[in-house]
Amino acid sequence: MVGVLVDFANDLRRAGVAVGSGDVLTYCAALALLDPTDLLDLYWTGRTTMVTRREHLPVYDRVFRKFFLDDPDALPEPVKLTLRVTTETQSVLQVPATEPGTESLDEQQVQLGLVGSDAEVLRNKAFAACTPEELAALRRIIARMRLAPPRRRTRRTVAARDGRRPDPRRTVRAMMRNHGEPSTLHWRQRRLRLRPLILIVDVSGSMADYSRSLLQFAYSARRAAARVEAFCFGTRLTRITRALERRRADEAMEQAAKAVFDWEGGTQIGDSLAEFVRDWGRRGVCRGGIVVICSDGLDRGDPQVLATAMERLARLSHRVVWLNPHKGDNRNFQPSTLGMMVVAPHIDALLSGHNLHSLEEFAALLSELS
Amino acid sequence: MDRPETVAQLTQLLRDGGYLADRGLSTALFVALSLGRPILIEGEVGVGKTEVAKVLAAVFGRRLIRLQCYEGIDTSQALYEWDYARQMLQIRALSQRELDSDEAVDKLFGPKFLIERPLLEAVRTGDQAVLLIDEVDRADDEFEAFLLEVLADFQITVPEVGTIKAETPPLVVLTSNRTRELHDALKRRCLYHWVGYPSAEREVEIVLAREPGASEALARKVVAAVNRLRSLELTKPPGVAETIDWVRTLDVLGVTELDAGTVDDTLGAVVKEHDDLELVRADLDGIASGG
Repeated sequence: MVGVLVDFANDLRRAGVAVGSGDVLTYCAALALLDPTDLLDLYWTGRTTMVTRREHLPVYDRVFRKFFLDDPDALPEPVKLTLRVTTETQSVLQVPATEPGTESLDEQQVQLGLVGSDAEVLRNKAFAACTPEELAALRRIIARMRLAPPRRRTRRTVAARDGRRPDPRRTVRAMMRNHGEPSTLHWRQRRLRLRPLILIVDVSGSMADYSRSLLQFAYSARRAAARVEAFCFGTRLTRITRALERRRADEAMEQAAKAVFDWEGGTQIGDSLAEFVRDWGRRGVCRGGIVVICSDGLDRGDPQVLATAMERLARLSHRVVWLNPHKGDNRNFQPSTLGMMVVAPHIDALLSGHNLHSLEEFAALLSELS
Repeated sequence: MDRPETVAQLTQLLRDGGYLADRGLSTALFVALSLGRPILIEGEVGVGKTEVAKVLAAVFGRRLIRLQCYEGIDTSQALYEWDYARQMLQIRALSQRELDSDEAVDKLFGPKFLIERPLLEAVRTGDQAVLLIDEVDRADDEFEAFLLEVLADFQITVPEVGTIKAETPPLVVLTSNRTRELHDALKRRCLYHWVGYPSAEREVEIVLAREPGASEALARKVVAAVNRLRSLELTKPPGVAETIDWVRTLDVLGVTELDAGTVDDTLGAVVKEHDDLELVRADLDGIASGG
């Protein structure tokens, strides 16, 4: 019996669930108390002892079905290729009338809006398409950049030379060393901590030229700062924080490319940001943090959705920075796409991020955003 | 009641305590009780994660020791603290000669001056306690390190005293709303269970168990309406706690039928976000009918 259970655990490991030997021991010990011939016991006990992440639950279900029920349906999900018509006219029609100077920009908006693709392409695009020399050179430079998000005062205290709160523990200890004579009063101070950094990178068709270097940037940031979350979006949002945890840059990028389905598809900024706010922001991922969005603002969806999502995002986070490569080196850049005009009131800083120089500029600005 | 023999028995016990656990949760709790392992319960807001610990304590006649986590929570609030004021007074009261003896100093760091905080209290109480470490994701990640020794071996090391070990392990329930990912080291030491929203049928049962005065017809309608709300992609979807609150609210108002008007009047019991209210108000009839 134990042999069977160990085989099952091995299958789980092969499917990508991190199962330690200790977990397998617990599983066997738990089943010894229960009825191993009862399928429900077998299922639930394994699930509670060997799975520690919600994301792994479907994997567990699949492996369980295959292993114990010999279910032939346990094939990997087929690659989805869907075509969907997006509401293109909507984005032009719903220009808010109160926005200054919209009329003269209408024409430009229509032109730019057509750059994006109408089709939602769900496919994996390999990083191999990027020339290795390019990548290596970029990596060397970006890796040298040091990101320093602003800091905040936490509720946790540390012993300090002076401060606002007395430190009774150290004071009493010092007293005893002096035979009970109160000598010096020791203090504690509230600790400073780096604010979390949240990168939301647009990888849609209109941003394809930039998204690679921005992803590399996300990787460097992940390695440099204390708490970094990274997300990608095109037509939908993908969390790539886990993928970027790899020690080796190449591996991390490969993982990230695998994780993103709609590499170079169309753009649904509003929907993606709304999804971020709903699924992640609400749970506190960006609370008190610096949110960095890299996108050109060429939204294919309803601007109202984008406006609402941005408003909520701005309220949830400490600061919002928008990197728009179309800004280029132009200092007097005026946002011309509808998306950019909608988000403008909710962002704290607008930078370009179209080349290394501007990324360095961004890194320098970051520490001043308190 | 010492320990249930089977999963079914545990389910029945919880049911008697007014908590309807599904097979998965019961199995997880049964294993936790039998093997003496802590259990980490994650899930949506308001699905009864905290409640399960309370009910467990009640049905087994154990003491519920609760540690509410918050940012900056420290050993002195979670594990133990020395009574510094009394220590200082004691030192002042000792004569020079007494201070030289080891015994007097030992006493200063004896049990008399040690203040128990929830974790130490739970270790001392052993299997007569249910330790609830609530919303562990609210504490900063440094705090998780304090928990590791307690969760792995049910012991606490106080440098001045030594290691205090639980003779019998208490039942430890940790809850998390997943506002951040917990450290693997912590998860490794726990069993894990994810609590989702119950099925409509089950939710009606839960409402009736919690609010026996409510009519089944009304409970059904409210559950249907809440399920409809959950499908609306709200910023904060209502949990089971909100369903029960809503039924209670309607009960207080003496309402027996759910229509667009009453939904509008009592919406504050379920929808607690301004943006969501607007979205919901646009579809009051649909929600009232649950369709």
